[in-house]
Amino acid sequence: MSPDRSIIKQGIADALPLYVPAIPFAFVIGVVIVESGINPFVGWTSSWIIYGGAAQLTLISLLGSGAAIAAPITAGLVVNARHLMYSAAMAPVFQHQPRWMRWIGPYLLIDQEFALAMLRADDDPRAFRTYYLSSGLVFWSLWQVTTAVGILVGPIVPESWSLEFAVSILFLGLIVMGIDKYPKLIAALVGAGVTYVTAGLPNRAGLLVGALAGILVGTIAERFRT
Amino acid sequence: MTDLFAIVLVGVGTYLSRGIFILALANRKIPDPVLVTLQFVAPAVLGALIVALLIDSDGNVSIGIPEISALTVGGAVAYKTRNHIFTLIAGMGVFWLVRALT
Repeated sequence: MSPDRSIIKQGIADALPLYVPAIPFAFVIGVVIVESGINPFVGWTSSWIIYGGAAQLTLISLLGSGAAIAAPITAGLVVNARHLMYSAAMAPVFQHQPRWMRWIGPYLLIDQEFALAMLRADDDPRAFRTYYLSSGLVFWSLWQVTTAVGILVGPIVPESWSLEFAVSILFLGLIVMGIDKYPKLIAALVGAGVTYVTAGLPNRAGLLVGALAGILVGTIAERFRT
Repeated sequence: MTDLFAIVLVGVGTYLSRGIFILALANRKIPDPVLVTLQFVAPAVLGALIVALLIDSDGNVSIGIPEISALTVGGAVAYKTRNHIFTLIAGMGVFWLVRALT
């Protein structure tokens, strides 16, 4: 097998289990689109125009609630503002990529793709690109299909399964497997703790506050370590 | 039409938030202190997301014994096996089991 083919295989193999917990989100988005009264096709276009579950859910449920148009848009943007930090974290890696890849890469930069790609940051540029695009296209294609299926059959899935909790478990696994020194553990714990304390902030702003606090304290811990 | 307008606007904003550093800084050298800081983005954001995902629509964190048990076991399995599928099976298994018992 050529190196490229084995990397593509690895990208697909890594993406598939990580996509499983996104399935309930896709179904919920489908249900919310149907219940919101938005044209189902227009609602589904958010899957490829926005391509981000949390922002899609926030935007569509608020549009359906009859809120003034500025509220759903602002909330959707705030929820996805964490991607600024992904963009900053990935920028050094993308320095070694051709221009077309720097335009396409951000479009595919969802939470799961970020988590997988950061573990590959030290690969050579071609191997990184092959891995990023193969795993990214798996996530993208599955998202388009499963949100469409969700619009059709979403209401049948029992809420009692609480499958959305699987996202938390997989993110924890990603943290644990990514920790190679104690300041990263501190960053994760502070990120979680501060988000917990600020959970009541509107528009999920606590997520950003917690993340920034974790980055800051992790950096300070690194200074003391070296 | 208003709905589509809102979707396009959030879509453009989302793309920019994902792309701005990659597109604007791709040809520049990033200072070392910034690189030191950037390595903590992943653990901090993922840690924050775990909690944020458990926040309900009223702004309360709905975390109980099933969630804590599942995250503890899931974290231990992730540490031991380095395998996402095993981590997922163990975590959700404990979550459903403890929830049924409590």
